[in-house]
Amino acid sequence: MEYGVATLTQGLISAWILAAVAFFALGILVYVAIRSRTSRVDLERTVQAFRSLDIEAFRNLVDSAEEAFLRNHLSPKKFREIKRQRAWAALLYAWEAGRAAVALAKIGQAAQRSLDPEIVASGVEVTENAFRLRLQTVRVSLRLLTEVLLPGLSSRSLPPLADQYERAAETLFRLGRFPSGRHGLIPR
Amino acid sequence: MYWHKALSLFLWITPHVLLGVLAVVLCRRRLYREFPVFFAYVLYEIAEFILLFALYSILGVGKQYGYAYCATLLLSIALRFGVIDEVSKSLFRESQFLKVVARRSLQCVGGLLLVMGVLLAVYAPGDNSARWYAGVLVVNRGAAMIQCGLLLALLLFSRFLGLSWPRSAFGIALGLGVLTSVDLAMFALRAAFTSDVAADFLDLLITGTYLVCVSIWIGYLRAPEREPAASLTVIPHDEVDTWNTELQHLLKD
Repeated sequence: MEYGVATLTQGLISAWILAAVAFFALGILVYVAIRSRTSRVDLERTVQAFRSLDIEAFRNLVDSAEEAFLRNHLSPKKFREIKRQRAWAALLYAWEAGRAAVALAKIGQAAQRSLDPEIVASGVEVTENAFRLRLQTVRVSLRLLTEVLLPGLSSRSLPPLADQYERAAETLFRLGRFPSGRHGLIPR
Repeated sequence: MYWHKALSLFLWITPHVLLGVLAVVLCRRRLYREFPVFFAYVLYEIAEFILLFALYSILGVGKQYGYAYCATLLLSIALRFGVIDEVSKSLFRESQFLKVVARRSLQCVGGLLLVMGVLLAVYAPGDNSARWYAGVLVVNRGAAMIQCGLLLALLLFSRFLGLSWPRSAFGIALGLGVLTSVDLAMFALRAAFTSDVAADFLDLLITGTYLVCVSIWIGYLRAPEREPAASLTVIPHDEVDTWNTELQHLLKD
C-alpha cells in the first residue's frame, strides 16, 4: 500500500515537472515570436556597437608577449591577480564583439534583401563574417572564462578574434560602398 | 454533457477545415515547392481526420478506431521530423558556413534529445505495460520532447547568431513548437491523471491548441515576406560618411 502511494506521488511529481518544462519551452517560443516581430535593423545601434569596441585595447589584453613580461616582472600572487583582471576585461570586450556581430549579421541579411545585386553580394559577405565572428567570440569567451577562474594556467594563443573582427568590419565597410581607403583604416 | 461533446467536435473539426484553407494558401502562394514535406503533412492530417472521423461516426471509439489512431499518429510524428528538417534547411540556406556548423550542432542536440526521449519513455510516469496503445502514447510523448527541443534549439540558435527567419519558415516552426510543447505537457499529465474527467479536459486542451497552431500557420503563410531593405538599397551619402567616421574612430582609437 505504502509502496503504491509512493509510486503514485513520484509519478505525479514527474508529470508536473515534465509539464513545467514543456510550458517553459512554450513561454520561450512565444517570447521569441513576440521579440522577432518588434525587432528592427538599427544602423545607428550597429555603428555604436562597433564604436564601443577598442580593438587595440583588446589585442593588448590578450597579447602573449605582454603576459610573459608581466609573469617575469611580478610576483606569482600579483601576476595571478593582474591576469584575472586582464582576462575579465578581455571577456567583456569579447562579449561586446559578439553583440556587434549579431547586429552586423542583421545588417548583412537586410542588405541581402536589397534589389541591387552589388549590395546583395556585400550583404552575403557581411553576414558570413558576422556569423564567424559570433562563433569566434563564444570560443574566446570560454577560454577567457577559464583564465578568470584559473589564472595560474599558462594561456594558449587565443582564437583569432581580433582578426575576425577586422574582417567583419571590413566587409561592413564595403557594404557602405567606400571605394578607397578601407585598408588604411584597419590598423596592423 | 452535451456541451462537452459539441465543443469536442467543434475543436476536432474546425482545425481540419482550416488545414484545407492552409493547403489552398500553400498552393496559391506556391509554397509547396519550398516546403514539400509540410505540404504533405497538411494533406496527410486532412486525410487522417477524414479516416478517423468516418470510423468514429460509423463504429464509435472502439478497437478499430484505436488501431487507426495509433497508426496514423506514428506517421504524423515521422512527418513532423521531416518538417523540422525542412524548416532548418530553409533557415540556413543562405549561409554556406552555417549549413555546416549549424547542422552539425543540431545533430548533436538531436542525439542528446533522443537519449533523453528514450530515458523519458522508460522512466517517466504512465502506463509502461506492454499494451501497445500505452506504448504508442509513450512514444508520442518522447517524440514531442525531441521535436520541441529541436525547434527550441533552432530558435535560440538563430537568435544567438542574429539570423533572420523567412516569415513562412518561422510561422511553421512556431506553430509546430507550440503544438509539440503543449502535446508534451498534456501527454505527461494524461499519464498521471487517468480519470475520465481529467482525460476529457486534457483532450479539449490538445485539440484547442491544434486550432491555435493551424491559425498561426495560416496567419504566417498568408502574410507576404518582408520587403527589400529600402534603407540599404539607397544609403544616403551623409549616412555613409557617418559610418566612415564611426569606423575610423573605432579602428584608429
